[in-house]
Amino acid sequence: MSARVLVGVKRVIDYAVKIRVKPDKTGVVTDGVKHSMNPFCEIAIEEAVRLKEKKLIKEVIAVSCGPQQSQETIRTALAMGADRGIHVDVSGKDYENLGPLQVSKILAALAKKEDVRLIILGKQAIDDDCNQTGQMTAALLDWPQGTFASQVDFQEDSLKVEREIDGGLETIKIKMPAVVTADLRLNEPRYATLPNIMKAKKKKIDTVKPSDLGVDLSSQLEVLSVEEPSQRQAGVKVETVEDLIKKLRDSGRI
Amino acid sequence: MLTLTQGFLRFKPTLPGAMPIRFAQHARFLVVAKYHTVECFSSENDIRKFIVENTEVVQGNHLTPEIKMRLFTPKCRFWRARPELWPFSDPYWAIYWPGGQALTRFLFDNPGTSRGKKVLDLGSGCGASAMAASLRGASHVLANDIDPVATTAIKMNCELNNLKPLPVSVENLIGTKAEDWDLILLGDMFYDTELSDGLHSWLKQCVSTHRTQVLIGDPGRANFENHKIQKWLRELAHYELPLCVTEENYGLTSSKVWEFLP
Ligand SMILES: C[S@@+](CC[C@H](N)C(=O)[O-])C[C@H]1O[C@@H](n2cnc3c(N)ncnc32)[C@H](O)[C@@H]1O
Repeated sequence: MSARVLVGVKRVIDYAVKIRVKPDKTGVVTDGVKHSMNPFCEIAIEEAVRLKEKKLIKEVIAVSCGPQQSQETIRTALAMGADRGIHVDVSGKDYENLGPLQVSKILAALAKKEDVRLIILGKQAIDDDCNQTGQMTAALLDWPQGTFASQVDFQEDSLKVEREIDGGLETIKIKMPAVVTADLRLNEPRYATLPNIMKAKKKKIDTVKPSDLGVDLSSQLEVLSVEEPSQRQAGVKVETVEDLIKKLRDSGRI
Repeated sequence: MLTLTQGFLRFKPTLPGAMPIRFAQHARFLVVAKYHTVECFSSENDIRKFIVENTEVVQGNHLTPEIKMRLFTPKCRFWRARPELWPFSDPYWAIYWPGGQALTRFLFDNPGTSRGKKVLDLGSGCGASAMAASLRGASHVLANDIDPVATTAIKMNCELNNLKPLPVSVENLIGTKAEDWDLILLGDMFYDTELSDGLHSWLKQCVSTHRTQVLIGDPGRANFENHKIQKWLRELAHYELPLCVTEENYGLTSSKVWEFLP
């Protein structure tokens, strides 16, 4: 009951926005584009708040790494029931280079500083699809990990985690402190109602710099090019079954 | 070559049904042009009308079924609206805060606390604690809130409960010369660091000059639990919040009453 949980919330381009690649292929267009919380992070926050509501944990801390605007993402987490926020201020070139390794170093440092028993993250972010941060964070801390969780149950000092794996479900038991990453079916996140948004306005967000945490943000990864997936070819309409069979024959499919 | 665009595009088709539904709720349309700015409200009557139209009379859906109040509920049109559409400063008076609920419950259950006393409810909001003090025999109750709309809401809530409207004030008393209050009530007032710091030093002064009794209701907010005032508190009561209150206050399930003893 006295445990603290750290939840990572990433600010990404909203899932409903059509992504455009910059003409120079260095990245995607983000200026003036609607951003919101990565949907898997919403699931992670929801799970943490539910654990708090079941009185299994005491405090939920939402953390986001990025520029000033990341605070909006933290506010959303606070409106969903997180208790306080930590904004790790990363901007400019550092933000461009910010990847799973840098974020996991930050999360690992914060986990120690805030003395947390559990870290819940989304299994991946919908912008870079990396699916690495949870695993790297667990490795850096040398904590057990329960990735792709579709169910989490507390058992004294352990967690029973049901994982979505190819071909079915796997259930594992891990000792806390631990890292859990949320899969799509873990829960259905709640909607931040106006009163909850209002109530969250005054919740505290501390801002720290990676250097305050002793984290070096240098990256060994160089992005060479970002490109649109190839356009889907337009289809053709056929009038009759005979036409279809002829077409398939002519194209050598049958 | 490393291609990074895939992720953006691949995610969409795998979204569960839940996402579009929640998205649709965002899009719900609201016509609020009529109430565009506070200036449109020329008289207290306009404010009253707005309060009536945008709240619901609630009784029993909280820790103190003894009193009725006009509050924000899921039936109100702004409940799911974007916050920018709300025409006033945040309607804290339209919410019965879990800290205030515990404090008010405590006053009802312990009539001796306010009987015959001169009471200040600072940050009164909907006025619940002030009303309870009055109903339990306080000789004088001042409902104080810096939000002028709250003072109208408090008067209306008094009327709802057939109480003679309590005196209200919008003055910021924090930091002013301590008056001779017997009892100061603080329902959920420790939600903000700066406010908590100001209150803490001012309350110390109130207690030392007039031996005022100070009662605090709080549901375990991080700001309160991490504040230095914790060193000078005595727990008086602990209440589990009814399910409907928990459902409206994400993450909170219980609320406590504390006495401040510097
Ligand atoms: C969280 S609400 C609590 C309302 C009520 N006590 C309850 O528990 O339901 C805080 C209230 O304090 C008021 N407030 C904020 N600062 C204040 C101050 N310095 N003096 C008086 N009221 C203040 C706000 O306008 C708001 O109505």
